[in-house]
Amino acid sequence: MTRGHMTVQRASRMLAVVLLLIVAATAAVSLAASTARGKLVLAWHAGFASRWLDPQEHDGTATPDNFFTALHDALVKNQGTALYDHPALAERFSVATDAKSATYTLRKGLTFHNGDPVTPQDVKFSYESYRGAKADVFKSKTERVEVVDDRTVRFVFKEPFLDFAILFGTANVAAPGWIVPEKYYKQVGPDGFKQKPIGAGPYKLVRHEPGVKIEMEAFDGYYRPVHVKQLVMQSVPEAATRVAMLERGEADLIYNVPGELIAKVGKLPGVTLAPVLSGSFFLEFPNFQDPKNPFRDKRVREAVSLALDRRAMNQAETGGMGKPTGNWINDDVQYAIDWPEFPRNVEKAKQLLREAGYPNGFDVAWVTPLPAFYSRGERIIAQLREVGIRGRLQTMERGIFFQKLRGGLKEWPGVQMILHGVRIAGSWSFWYEANFKCGGSNSRDRVCVKDLDAKFEQYEHSVNPAERKKLAEEIQRAILENYYLVPVFRHAFVNAIGPRVIAQKWQDVFPTITTGYAYPWEELKVKE
Amino acid sequence: MARFVVRRVAYSLVTLLILSATIFLIVRMTGDPVLLLAEASASEEDLDRVRHQWGLDRSWPVQYATFMQNAFMGELGKSFNYRLPVSELYFQRLPNSLLLGLSATLISLLIGVPAGIVSAVKVNTWWDNVAKGVALLGLSIPGFWLGLVLILVFSVWLRWLPTSGAGDWRHVIMPALALGWYFAASMLRLTRSSMLEVLGSEYIKLARLKGLPDVVVIALHAFKNALIPVFTLAGVNLVVMVNAAVIIEVIFAWPGIGRLLYEGIFQRDFPLVQGVVIMAGFMIVGINLVVDILYALIDPRIRLTR
Repeated sequence: MTRGHMTVQRASRMLAVVLLLIVAATAAVSLAASTARGKLVLAWHAGFASRWLDPQEHDGTATPDNFFTALHDALVKNQGTALYDHPALAERFSVATDAKSATYTLRKGLTFHNGDPVTPQDVKFSYESYRGAKADVFKSKTERVEVVDDRTVRFVFKEPFLDFAILFGTANVAAPGWIVPEKYYKQVGPDGFKQKPIGAGPYKLVRHEPGVKIEMEAFDGYYRPVHVKQLVMQSVPEAATRVAMLERGEADLIYNVPGELIAKVGKLPGVTLAPVLSGSFFLEFPNFQDPKNPFRDKRVREAVSLALDRRAMNQAETGGMGKPTGNWINDDVQYAIDWPEFPRNVEKAKQLLREAGYPNGFDVAWVTPLPAFYSRGERIIAQLREVGIRGRLQTMERGIFFQKLRGGLKEWPGVQMILHGVRIAGSWSFWYEANFKCGGSNSRDRVCVKDLDAKFEQYEHSVNPAERKKLAEEIQRAILENYYLVPVFRHAFVNAIGPRVIAQKWQDVFPTITTGYAYPWEELKVKE
Repeated sequence: MARFVVRRVAYSLVTLLILSATIFLIVRMTGDPVLLLAEASASEEDLDRVRHQWGLDRSWPVQYATFMQNAFMGELGKSFNYRLPVSELYFQRLPNSLLLGLSATLISLLIGVPAGIVSAVKVNTWWDNVAKGVALLGLSIPGFWLGLVLILVFSVWLRWLPTSGAGDWRHVIMPALALGWYFAASMLRLTRSSMLEVLGSEYIKLARLKGLPDVVVIALHAFKNALIPVFTLAGVNLVVMVNAAVIIEVIFAWPGIGRLLYEGIFQRDFPLVQGVVIMAGFMIVGINLVVDILYALIDPRIRLTR
């Protein structure tokens, strides 16, 4: 055999192998593409805000993750039972033992919806140009972002930043770790991006009718299989219309079934209710330290707790699907402590009030519930009346409520009670910081317990996880034992799943414990 | 005639100016929109930054002057919530609202006018009583309730029509019926009273004395004259339906201007609310102006007495 003949033979073999590889790759791609089938329609319970499509302007609430998790992706995120460290675009990450840096390694072959590769430079851009919730915290603590190699990026901090990983990885707290394509973002600008966002998430945008509808299609280049081909999110503010859509098969998922419709939806054939535990409702006594304020006496605050019928509240407000709780902080955050459900004992409550010098009870100027949960405020007023505490309901528009919260004590003169409803993921400290700390973003100067704030300061500066955990538990215990805040119950965000969605139980569709929404979207399946 | 037109145009402009100032003040009296735009835990510095970004840190007179200056150039500002020019959003939604408004107007005319005529012609008979009953129901049944009942019956039970949203002709039927129902009642009442007035007039009596058949008297002599106020009302109703069908659009998730206004109000989206109200005002004032001028052309007494 000649040498030339051998070369030709080898070349032919190589060509055959290459062809085979191409065929196999094409088959694999088409197989991946063809796994996504069908259409899923979500009836969303409110309007749409365009900023919810741009992680760079995360508003610090739970709402945007419903959209981020479809269109975009993060390095790590909260998903399933992982509170903040589910590997997503990053296949792994590590935080230095001194907590002064964190290193993330991207998966291989990641692309955005427009085909551009996801690079460490995009990560750096997304982090550095991020201007949403907690941006000031990240900026003040970060010294620099280093692109280590073509898949690795390192965040270097000025001081130990123990909460970095948890803040960075919790979608409903902040989003500097949600990656946007630098080139495209700069090209279209922030407002243009909000109209036509391009991300690296499981779904790419097909059509966006601002405020009305978002149509998406499975992204073949996603690193996980995406099962449903078309995903449509439609704004349907009226609850009865959402239920009718589900009943008629026009929607496969509906969010926020109100209490009065829960029983009806539960009886629909093939429909499954999904009562996702959500925000925690608790009572606050503004200015309780004032000597003239009856709530200054711990016995009075305890009497309030004893007067509450939490189970009746849960039954009436969420069809019994919520959870009467012991702690005012959700149990799905770091260092939250378990606390038994507070008992109801009207007689003991009356006795405590007598001992505190209020045998005939007293008047509360206003009981103000978080808008628009007015019926919960009414129930609390009715329950407190049984022990002689006479309150009047104050209702206000949501924006005004937050404005007054931010206004501090001067906005809540006299004897008042506030019924809060809060959901924050990540860490217990975010709850304390916003709703209890003196000077906190919502608590302002209404609640100031100096010794607990001092402990919290210690917690913030500690780099010892064991010490932090101990302090976190001590602070939470002190709040509960002293009834500084009185937990009421944990609200159920009741959703419903239509018969076309493949699920054995509702948790298959709502597996992420830190949210009320149905992500990860790529895991959902519908019948043909 | 020219003086009359100039005067009417001047009145219209003053009306629009008053409207713009009123809506400008009212939306600002509802509170600070920045609290709804920024995250719950935003610092004061963050809030100030957002205020500056949207020009809300300037004094109200300066903001109003800027708004009016832009409005004269046809620019109604940029929506806080959607980050799009308000005019773009408005014209995106306008075709849907026009479709809904025209369909509802048609329904209100088809129900209200014939029923009003029959009621007037058969006055104080059971026909009249039925028609008056329909008018009473039309005016007293809330649109949101009727909408929900329609959804229940035609979408859920009978499965004939889609529950909500916009798409083909089937999507329009229920919202148009729910919206047109109320206006049909007012049409019915106006047609009835207008017909009764015309039927009692001298020229109708003369026509009857001449021995003309009732059908001819009603159709050719009474009906034409009685319709003038009815169609004037229909025109104004159409503008209201196009711009302010808030509840019906929310119930049926209809992507129209009313829902845009609703979302704007809830989000304290000042530019959006101002823009929608100004456009609605512009339409109403414009239609009234045209009607006034047409009246003046038809009836010279009007331009002489006003």
